[in-house]
Amino acid sequence: MAGELEGAKSLSGLLSGLAQSAFHGHAGITEELLHGQLYPEVPPEEFRPFLAKMRGILKSIASADMDFNQLEAFLTAQTKKQGGITCDQAAVISKFWKSHKTRIRESLLNQSRWDNGLRGLSWRVDGKSQSRHSAQIDTPVAIVELEFGKSGQESEFLCLEFDEVKVKQTLKRLSEVEESINSLMQAA
Amino acid sequence: MSALGAAAPYLHHPADGHSGRVSFLGAQPWPQVAAVAQLLRDLDRSTFRKLLKLVVGALHGRDCREAAQQLGASANLSEERLAVLLAGTHTLLQQALRRPPASLKPEAFQDELQELGIPQDLIGDLASLVFGSQRPLLDSVAQQQASWLPHMSYFRWRVDVAISTSTQSRSLQPSVLMQLKLSDGSAHRFEVPMAKFQELRYSVALVLKEMAELEKRCERKLQD
Repeated sequence: MAGELEGAKSLSGLLSGLAQSAFHGHAGITEELLHGQLYPEVPPEEFRPFLAKMRGILKSIASADMDFNQLEAFLTAQTKKQGGITCDQAAVISKFWKSHKTRIRESLLNQSRWDNGLRGLSWRVDGKSQSRHSAQIDTPVAIVELEFGKSGQESEFLCLEFDEVKVKQTLKRLSEVEESINSLMQAA
Repeated sequence: MSALGAAAPYLHHPADGHSGRVSFLGAQPWPQVAAVAQLLRDLDRSTFRKLLKLVVGALHGRDCREAAQQLGASANLSEERLAVLLAGTHTLLQQALRRPPASLKPEAFQDELQELGIPQDLIGDLASLVFGSQRPLLDSVAQQQASWLPHMSYFRWRVDVAISTSTQSRSLQPSVLMQLKLSDGSAHRFEVPMAKFQELRYSVALVLKEMAELEKRCERKLQD
């Protein structure tokens, strides 16, 4: 029985499935599905604790956003623990995390964002030539469309007009923001 | 002359042929300008100055109805005369301000007003308004009236760092919170993830570069 739970391919599939349901919000991936598709030979009473163990390990790794040293230390500890995991399983988990770390992190970051978020930006530069109030303007003007929305909701659009001075000012402000972020990241 | 009424001096202008210049009032005479020229001959200067102040207020987009009524009452002007004075002066100034200072010279402006029969001292007041220190402000108002989309009037930001969340025990991810207030009075607040922030900054820099290039191209075209 233990041999069936050892299979690297099945475990890799299980981890993908767990990640889909736990981190990427796919509700369709159930315990029955994982059991039936990946471990049909294993009785449910054995599969259930095995699934819970793997889910727990994966959540610990993701929640701490472990780097590879932390991961090695964590997995080694798991292999030594009673009722822990085997070295082969540790290798599969390590491989899985290396290839999925970025996506899972991104997904978790998005889950803790519920404010209105900027989704996109499109722009156009026009040359204004005449208007009712001015015979000759010849000033470029930028039309900027901002797209934002709350997660899971439809986008809202905001159209703005900028003259050159305003664009310069905005760029200056954004540079300030960037400097502030850079100094923060260096300090961390 | 009498059959043509107040518009006569103006109508004579293109036929004069002595100057050869194009009127800032356009090829077709504005009836309200011709009509006001006649009324201005009988207007005292202090009333005219009050009238000018009112019209400048209107050019700035202010509601001047009450002030106009007060002026009418204090200067003993009939409603009809007041309407002609306001409409004519407004059109005259609006047309003069439409021309960039380089294409309408003060002398040409004054000559034209003289030809309309407007008294000299009032011409002086009009000229100092069109070519004086108030001009940049009036130009910026005109520019604002030409933009139909709202523009940003206030921008503030805050960099947040999420330390710990329900999904990550140690997140330490910065994000930018931005608030925009617009000229139409609305306010918008949104969060900008780091990747989007870089995109935003790049786009704004690109827009600025494109605007500078467009301006250069326009200048070259005007020189040609």
